[in-house]
Parts: sequence; C-alpha cells; structure tokens
Amino acid sequence: MASTSADSDRLLVQQIRRGDATAWDRLIERYEGRLLAFVERRLHDRSAGEDVVQETFIGFLNSLPNFDETRDLQTYLFTIAAHKLTDYLRRIGRHPLQNLPEGQEFLEQQVDSQPGVSSIARSKEREQLETDAVVKVLSHMINEWKAAGEFTRVKVLELLFVKGWANKDVAAFLSIKEQQVANIRFAAVRKMGENMKDSGLPEEVFPGLKRQA
Amino acid sequence: MNEITLEDLHGYLDEALSESETARIERALRNSLSLRQVLRGVMLERDRGEHTVGAIWRRHRLSCPTREQLGSYLLKVLDEGLQDYIRFHLDTIGCSYCQANLTDLQSRQREPAAATQARRKKLFQSSAGLLRSR
Repeated sequence: MASTSADSDRLLVQQIRRGDATAWDRLIERYEGRLLAFVERRLHDRSAGEDVVQETFIGFLNSLPNFDETRDLQTYLFTIAAHKLTDYLRRIGRHPLQNLPEGQEFLEQQVDSQPGVSSIARSKEREQLETDAVVKVLSHMINEWKAAGEFTRVKVLELLFVKGWANKDVAAFLSIKEQQVANIRFAAVRKMGENMKDSGLPEEVFPGLKRQA
Repeated sequence: MNEITLEDLHGYLDEALSESETARIERALRNSLSLRQVLRGVMLERDRGEHTVGAIWRRHRLSCPTREQLGSYLLKVLDEGLQDYIRFHLDTIGCSYCQANLTDLQSRQREPAAATQARRKKLFQSSAGLLRSR
C-alpha cells in the first residue's frame, strides 16, 4: 500500500545513496527511537541497546547498494535489528539457546547444516516467489477487510496463521462459530493456492495450512 | 491459549514476539526436552529454506497498523472497530514491531529533548563516515 510515509522514505534513501548527510541524519531521527524500543525490550540495558541500534544503522548503510526501494524501509530496519540483536546476545553468551542443556549443540548444528551455495541460491529464488504470492493474496484480503470494518475476519486469519491456533480455539476466543472460522480459512487457503498456481508454483507449497485445519 | 505452537517458535526465532511471550517460551524451553526437540526441528527446517505463511505474515507486517494509526490509538480517537483491532494486534498477537513503535511514541512525549538529541548525534557521528555515493 503506497503512502506518504513510504514515498518520503524512498526519497530519503535516494538522497542517502547520493551521500547526503542531512538525509542520513533525518533517517536516524525518524527510526532510532522505535529501533531502540525494539531491542531494549530484550536487553533491558540502554547502553547495550544503543550499541545494537548503532550496528543496525551501520548494517543498513553497508547493505544499501542491495536495498530494493520497493521494500518497506521500517520492516527492513527491524529485520536488520533482529539479526544484530541475536548476534549481540550470542556474543555476550546470553542467547537463549546457549543457556539450554543442548544449546551449544543447537547453535553448532545451525552452522554445520548450511546448504551449499548453489542450493541456497535456488531455494532463495523459490522462497521469494512463494513469499510474493502469499503477500499479494493476504495483503489484498487484509486491506479489503480493514477498509470494510470486518476486523473479525482479520483476527481469525491472524490467530490461525500468525499464532498457529486451531480452528476451535480461534472460534472460542472470538466467540464465533467454528464453521465461520473454517470458512474464512478455506477461502484464504484457496486463494493462496490459486495464486501459487498462477505463479507456476505447486499449490501444496505450505502443507501445514491444511494440516492445521 | 497456553499451548506453545510451531508458529510461536518461529516468532521466537524471528524476535517477533512480545517480551512476555518470549519469556514464556524460554521458560518452557528450559523445562521441556520435547519442546527443545521441536525447536531443533523448526531450526533445521528454516535452514533448509522452508517457511510458513505465519513467518511471511510477520516479516512483511501484513496486518500491522500504520504509525499514524498507532498515534491515534494512543489518543483513543479511532473508530471503535479499529481501536479494538489494534489492541488485539498489540496484546493478543503481541507484535513486537508495533509494541516498539508504541513505546517510542509514548517516550517521545516523556524523554528530555537533550537526551534524545545527544543519542542521535552519537549515532550520526558513528555512521556518517560510511556515507558515500551508493
């Protein structure tokens, strides 16, 4: 959804790409507060939080040549911040997995199980196609429902897909019939399936969708 | 609902959960071998490039209100339906990105301007040297 804020962000990024220090200052002013709040939620340490935000901005500048201006800037910055936060927690030995009985093994396995370069490239391309198809269908549905004030439908899909709740739990939580939940899920899954097919992808890309029903 | 779902674990690995949800999952992980095994499976799937609709939804913030809407939410000037939906998104879904925006909007009213300016200046000085035509 295009907005004034997105247009303003795009303009800022274009100015920063030309080396405009004032634009960089404005981007920091716009985003540092929310990024700091995001990392402080996990760190509970202002000084460490500021360090992670600093690394986030530096990471953004380093990745700028590859940044796609059609992407949402805020979402992109949050993604970098989440990675920097995980890196920081690991560095100081506070990553949650390091504190589990098999935590070190978990982390080592993550490193060891990286696929080869060619399979990464192939799967990334496929992953992007799948992501685009899902984003296209769901963002259209969500925006339509929000505009029409049909917030219960948005809540149903959000609880099903984002929280992974079962139909009966969603129905009980929202005080609606289980059949209504099933119908909303069915319509969304069908539309995603159609879109997958149109994009040349198999309809069963996300088998979990049907398994959860 | 108290049960920890696969999507909760994905959200946990993405740093997309609220503080209380993150703490709940970490407590459960410490106490449950079977949950740790499930988490291991989720991590391996992610390494193989597998993803879920929920992960895509979170990463692309498909249902997140705009920052302007969050500001209006704080002022309680939205239509009842949208006000209620944003409360649901913040409290039930526990969206960490929107919670961060809300915290920032609240703190902008409280934090002394001098402290904010000093922090921004430090951030600028530590990164501006990397600016060049890109």
